[in-house]
Amino acid sequence: MTKINSIQVLKPGMHSSVQDLGCTGYRHLGVTTGGALDRHALILANRLLGNSDSSAGIELTSGSVELKFNCDIWFVVTGARYQISIGQRDIWCNWRNKIKAGETLTLRGPKSGMRAYLALEGGIIGGVENGMPDTDSPLGSRFSGVLGAVLKDGDRLALGQAGTISKPIGAVPRGYSNEIRALPGPEMSLFSTESKKSFWNTSWQLTNESNRMGARLSGTSLSLLQQQDMESHAVMPGTIQVPPSGQPIVLLADSQTTGGYPKIATVIEADLWKLAQTRPGEEIRFIHVSPNQADDANYEWEQYFYRLQRAIEANG
Amino acid sequence: MNAETNLSGHNKKLTMTTEQSPKVFRLGESAVVIDCTNFFPEVSRLTIQRKIWWLAERCRQTDDFIDIVPGMNNLTLFMKSTNRINYWLAQLGDFWLQAKQMNLSGRNVEIPIVYGGEFGPDLEQVARYHQLSCEEVIRRHSSGSYTVLFLGFQPGFPYLDGLDSNLFTPRLSVPRISIPAGSVGIGGNQTGIYPASAPGGWQLIGRTNMPLFTPQSPGSPTLVTPGDTVQFIPVASLEFDAE
Repeated sequence: MTKINSIQVLKPGMHSSVQDLGCTGYRHLGVTTGGALDRHALILANRLLGNSDSSAGIELTSGSVELKFNCDIWFVVTGARYQISIGQRDIWCNWRNKIKAGETLTLRGPKSGMRAYLALEGGIIGGVENGMPDTDSPLGSRFSGVLGAVLKDGDRLALGQAGTISKPIGAVPRGYSNEIRALPGPEMSLFSTESKKSFWNTSWQLTNESNRMGARLSGTSLSLLQQQDMESHAVMPGTIQVPPSGQPIVLLADSQTTGGYPKIATVIEADLWKLAQTRPGEEIRFIHVSPNQADDANYEWEQYFYRLQRAIEANG
Repeated sequence: MNAETNLSGHNKKLTMTTEQSPKVFRLGESAVVIDCTNFFPEVSRLTIQRKIWWLAERCRQTDDFIDIVPGMNNLTLFMKSTNRINYWLAQLGDFWLQAKQMNLSGRNVEIPIVYGGEFGPDLEQVARYHQLSCEEVIRRHSSGSYTVLFLGFQPGFPYLDGLDSNLFTPRLSVPRISIPAGSVGIGGNQTGIYPASAPGGWQLIGRTNMPLFTPQSPGSPTLVTPGDTVQFIPVASLEFDAE
């Protein structure tokens, strides 16, 4: 029997979890999309390793994480800046590095940003103990095994087939800013003139209650022109809903699929990652954009990854 | 048949009221919504929802969407590509005019419930609020036949139509931090079952041990689907998994 490449969790850190890019097609059953909160960071890490974009890696939220490897393998850490080391050797973020069987990878942080992504050659394909997910049943595999699960002491994660990487390569990540572009939501007009102004013109602080379901904000209280009950409707990552407290919540990857609060705006897909990288206590601002500007912003990401791909192919 | 006459009567109302048309709008970059909530209360929620089911089915025949998600008298279409947004923004109103009452071939699903006691800690409060006995609340709640309008919120959570208006009860002023899976509650004009443990503000009147969501199931991963009817069967006891 061939040995399975695997890693063992010696220290899990806080809220570390196995994430891929989530899945669609089940929202009518109440099943949310899930997946990495900073999708671009996970894609960047996977591209640098020659993995498919949707390969599963580890999303780190904070604390000290230690992982022991049973194989020689290449890995990349992207997203938030972490202090990374193998024994006495310091490791750069956004570069692929090789770790050897028996060595321990230590990640401490974040020094800046909020969530880091550790991708491994071949990707995480399941847990060693609880077997491999059933690939014929995507819904089944999403709710069993390791995908989306919070890491625990002693977990062992199985990795896919490694490739043929021979040398290090790195990438320059795109810069973070706290200006988050958004489109007006369908219920924007139900808010008072004052609230509409405050939404766009004042800054919002991310609170401690934020998690993978939503970024909860605190700032000027937003109010409707007149109180009214709304029927439940579909919501999605990026939807900014305003509950009666008047404090907006930006829904993220693990949000519910339907909700009944008024939707004041929607964060554009190209900027959703910034909410994953904002820490509690930090401030953000919303910038009003048009659907065309949102398309342009997506195009910029496409260009970034296109250039990256060309560079990898030239230097791989 | 009586029921059919009723339905076509509603249908006429839906199409004849020319000053009333559904709202069609874009949500974010890549979703389109058709919202028909303004037809209520002249038209019943179930009647409107039957046309929403028809629209959803019509949309499933194209290859334009990654997700087709009915809400309460509204439908959200998540597009594969923004290129087709304008087509659907223009087209949905026409499809609504063509939409028929869709009678999904629903099953009747009986769900056993232990009412009251530790499994329904708010039963007495609900009874007091309506000046009814606990037995009467149970009788009314379990004699209803509820139609699943759509699934949402949590995996497998059914939005049910048909709660006796004498049982409408406000939500708790302070929501519970965690409600056990299988809890049956009343929140405002709705009743429902929590598939998984979650925070929530509904008044809890009972609990079932029937799983509402089994993702590994080779058949339907959800216990009920839109169009099904649900009946709550009061039972003295059930075996619950240890929490």
